[in-house]
Amino acid sequence: MLIMRRREGEAIMIGDDVEIRILSIGRSKVKIGITAPRTVPVSSHEIELVRSENQAAAGILSDGPALVARLLRARVQETPEKSPEVTDQKEEE
Amino acid sequence: MPTCSTKYQGEIEYSEDAVLNFAWGPFGFEAETRFVLIEVPPARPIVFLQSLATPGLCFVALPVFVVDPAYRLSLAPEDLSALELPANRQPRIGEEVLCLVLITVQKNRPTTANLMAPVVVNLGSRNALQTLAFEVNYSHQHEFLQPEEDAVCS
Repeated sequence: MLIMRRREGEAIMIGDDVEIRILSIGRSKVKIGITAPRTVPVSSHEIELVRSENQAAAGILSDGPALVARLLRARVQETPEKSPEVTDQKEEE
Repeated sequence: MPTCSTKYQGEIEYSEDAVLNFAWGPFGFEAETRFVLIEVPPARPIVFLQSLATPGLCFVALPVFVVDPAYRLSLAPEDLSALELPANRQPRIGEEVLCLVLITVQKNRPTTANLMAPVVVNLGSRNALQTLAFEVNYSHQHEFLQPEEDAVCS
């Protein structure tokens, strides 16, 4: 990995047409400006994680919702609390 | 009432009040900006987010507090403005906004919730978006339900 030190306002070039500029530096965050041709997709690491997780969430099996509902009910019964919902559930049994 | 084809409930009638208009579609589904929010009593508290454009696309979601009662929103200024919410503070979950987390469930694997990217709905306008929690480190695969044991007794 190439490591470079930059001050606020300074930039890095990748190839001829991608520029990464440090716009501002906060206490725990940096604001970065990226200039790139439209053909270069730019997205944060987190967005890629969420994109693939959304694909997984959209692809769940047709009995998935019923399974989640069953697991949630089992969880409610395992951890009796003083909430009225739990009391209702016990009365039904 | 208009009708639509759904992934889980077949053909249903829906009311325009139940339609969420996304400022931008969920990540990876950017073109999908209209979803119907469906609640089915036997499946409660599960909420279905059914795409109006694509019958085969439906997310299974839960109110975030079902998964994490201490969940804290961290909407960016551009999210607040897209949702037409006050810019100077985070909205109150359950009062001003509905906050849903998308669920991934696979056989013999823990069920996970995407706490990193909740779907936030302005309860007044029904404007919605999927945001990226950036202030707090929430997981996109938060395990909250363990798989069922194979041997079922009783």
